[in-house]
Amino acid sequence: MSMVKLVDVRKSFGDNEVLKGINLEIESGEVVCIIGASGSGKSTMLRCLNHLERITDGEVYIQGELTDKREKNKDLMKIDPVKVQALCAELGMVFQNFNLFPHLTVIQNITVAPSIVKKVDKGVIEKTALELLEMVGLSDKKDEYPSRLSGGQQQRVAIARALAMEPMIMMFDEPTSALDPELVGEVLATMRKLAEEGMTMIIVTHEIGFAREVADRVIFMDEGVICEQGTPEEVLLNPKEERTKTFLNKIL
Amino acid sequence: MTSPVHLFTRTKIKLFYDEGKIIVLNEIQLQAILAGTIVTLEIAIVSIIFGAIFGVIIALGRISKNKVANSLSWFYIWFFRGTPLLLQLFIIYYAIPIIYLDSTGMTFTIDPMLCAYVAFSLNAAAYLAEIIRAAIESIDGGQMEAAKALGMSYRQAMTKIIIPQTFKRLVAPMGNELILLLKDTSLVSTIALSDLLRTVKTMASATGSWVYYIYAAAIYLFLTTIIQVVFDKTEKKLGVYER
Repeated sequence: MSMVKLVDVRKSFGDNEVLKGINLEIESGEVVCIIGASGSGKSTMLRCLNHLERITDGEVYIQGELTDKREKNKDLMKIDPVKVQALCAELGMVFQNFNLFPHLTVIQNITVAPSIVKKVDKGVIEKTALELLEMVGLSDKKDEYPSRLSGGQQQRVAIARALAMEPMIMMFDEPTSALDPELVGEVLATMRKLAEEGMTMIIVTHEIGFAREVADRVIFMDEGVICEQGTPEEVLLNPKEERTKTFLNKIL
Repeated sequence: MTSPVHLFTRTKIKLFYDEGKIIVLNEIQLQAILAGTIVTLEIAIVSIIFGAIFGVIIALGRISKNKVANSLSWFYIWFFRGTPLLLQLFIIYYAIPIIYLDSTGMTFTIDPMLCAYVAFSLNAAAYLAEIIRAAIESIDGGQMEAAKALGMSYRQAMTKIIIPQTFKRLVAPMGNELILLLKDTSLVSTIALSDLLRTVKTMASATGSWVYYIYAAAIYLFLTTIIQVVFDKTEKKLGVYER
């Protein structure tokens, strides 16, 4: 059974069609990197998966369960919002701009969602949070406010925060694009560690080297469609499509 | 022609003449002024509290996608900001008992203090709602997205993530509103309540000395100074998480 599945997904913002019929299935344990120029619909596709954007047409499945089925911006099926919320919470998300909660300390950032959404016992979640901070290498920052951390540290906290909800899949939306070059490495190292642990990951990225190293599958998107996909060797080293070649030549 | 210097010396003489009566207030006057100050304070404090609670609800209505909630809050703000507070006070004080009499045939006397609480709270709510709405909308949209991505409902995201971040931004305009309210309470003299200003005005007319107004000014300034200091401190304290 696939972890997430998109069937003929289209998404428009007004007259601007951003996704033009996307079909995608991601299996458990897979690490998928999505590359493509800005405006190609990569981020929108991620955001459609966890309902940050509603699709215009098509179907979205999470763990085999339908979470959205729409046509011409109208719901075709009434799906229990509580169920949708629970399924979407299976998708952890890391944003380009971190979006940590500035009024909460590092540890509170990690514990707030599990304690109010899953009603996890305070002692239990604090222990988990400390383990996660250890994993991302920030145990000593637990009582700091986000404003006192560097971008790379903030992004690692954001990863720990998403992991605290014990998601089945982690989605990364250009996680290193807002970072100073010298801070990119520490975030990628954390993500590499997660991949090694067998986490299912969907990563929108411009880090081609990283994609080559960790991805099981690379997807190249262009103008709202999946243009080419395959193993890193196939897509990044021997691309078949002309558009993929042009894109890779531009950024490498 | 009267030069400013002349005016100054005449003022000084008057103060000198009045000295015996004004520098020392007698006990009855002191108690009256204290009672007036309490009325003023009570109305300002009650209305800022209820105004804030009601204001949050209206602000949430204003940003809600629900058309009914949205237009009701719009209408509320439009009415209470668009008409004088004094007029609202009159409507509640004079019109409600008459409407009650017409519809039920029974008379009922309305407590002027209750009237003041209601009118001032409703009016403050309209202003505070706009302040709160602007504060909520000033929070980065990524905060709501992050909360939703973590599985929070709209209500959870609002109460735990968005609204707490508005507190610091709300302190300064709230202090402003409280100071305005404190001074506007002088309007209640029109519905037979003795607030601070009304009390000293009575004394001034009875004795013919204007200097009682100076006492009132001093008390108003004393109270607004406290508000200013407390709100400044609170703002600093709430901003602890900012760099």
